[in-house]
Amino acid sequence: MLIEVFGPGCMKCQTMEKHAKEAVEKSGGDHQVVKISDYAAMASRGILSTPALALDGQIKFQGRVASSDEILALIKG
Amino acid sequence: MSEIPCCSGESRKQSDHESQPRYWRRGGWLLVALPLWFLVYHFLEPFAQWITASIFKLDLKSHLGASVTFFFFDTPKVLMLLTLVVLVVTYLQTFVSPERTRAILAKRAGAWGNLLASLLGIITPFCSCSAVPLFIGFVKMGVPLGVTFSYLVSAPTVNEVALLMLFGMFGWKIALLYAITGVTISFFAGLVIGKLGMESSLEPWVLEITYNPESVEEAKQSFSDRLDVAVQGVRDIVGKVWPYMLAGIAAGALIHGYIPESLLVKVMGKGVWWNVPLAVLIGLPLYSNAAGMLPIVQALIGKGAALGTVLAFMMAVISLSPPETIILRKVLRPRLIGVFVGVVTIGILVVGFLFNAIL
Repeated sequence: MLIEVFGPGCMKCQTMEKHAKEAVEKSGGDHQVVKISDYAAMASRGILSTPALALDGQIKFQGRVASSDEILALIKG
Repeated sequence: MSEIPCCSGESRKQSDHESQPRYWRRGGWLLVALPLWFLVYHFLEPFAQWITASIFKLDLKSHLGASVTFFFFDTPKVLMLLTLVVLVVTYLQTFVSPERTRAILAKRAGAWGNLLASLLGIITPFCSCSAVPLFIGFVKMGVPLGVTFSYLVSAPTVNEVALLMLFGMFGWKIALLYAITGVTISFFAGLVIGKLGMESSLEPWVLEITYNPESVEEAKQSFSDRLDVAVQGVRDIVGKVWPYMLAGIAAGALIHGYIPESLLVKVMGKGVWWNVPLAVLIGLPLYSNAAGMLPIVQALIGKGAALGTVLAFMMAVISLSPPETIILRKVLRPRLIGVFVGVVTIGILVVGFLFNAIL
């Protein structure tokens, strides 16, 4: 699965990225975490508040830091 | 070997959490925590006086004694207020998302739109690193530029945490005054920018973006889900602002103990016209979290500084911050940045003069 973390690089966004990586590690699966900090890319996807997280192209969290357990639950679906 | 259960800190924490009764995790702890909070809060002042007099052996009326008491009273007081306020505010904010705000504001031209945007800016959560995506998202979905600016000024200026803390520290009159002031500035700033028709001063790439918003499916949240978000918010915000706050309290304590009232009234009192522009000039380049400003505000007002001057200083510090302006430069041409900063500055000046004249 492709996990995209959106954020310009503030503290919250870094925490979100860390949580996503932790979730991937816990899941044991082969998932890819990508950090997107380009404003144009974020804006064209319709993201209003950062940090945001998308799973396989679908935005799941926006404007708050999700815990690694929450992200793990998403990955497991 | 592989059967031995893993005993890293992480998993132990997990099992602790699981072993707590269900009602406790679902918010039952609030029933214990809230009364305890009020009990402790009630005894803070006598406790601070006792520390100063009995442990530090200082005269409560001396300069040093006054400063020390202020510090030991204000530190736990502001921290406790902040914790409670952030808990309540973050909980309430789980009900208002920027998407909802945008849906309300889209296509709403004219003064009503500006007023609505200024009011919504009070409650919506806002982080300056979200300023750019939010700005583009608003403008692209048909929120008028002036209305977007009303929101962009109001969101950081009328900080919901500061509002409730002012209420806790000074009562409803000052809190209301702060809210009205901030909303008024945001309203007029957005109105002026809208009237100037500055759509051409956006960076070209903003207009060229192909906008394909995806629908965001937010999971339904229960009370305990929202409470979890609120507790996380307390950890994040209190964890982040406490250095600002300690610095603010220390500065407040020095003012409280050492700056003579007559001097402060002479410099920051009502009768002195130039203290408003001076306060704004000093405040603009400074940036502090609203929570860090409050102890300073408290000490200044206690010493007889004019309310308009103090409010102007506080607004100048928290509303226009260099980091946010630099971030906004990515989407706005210098001309529009200049107008934005100029209009907000003038608004703060007017409010400062006005309050000093009428109060």
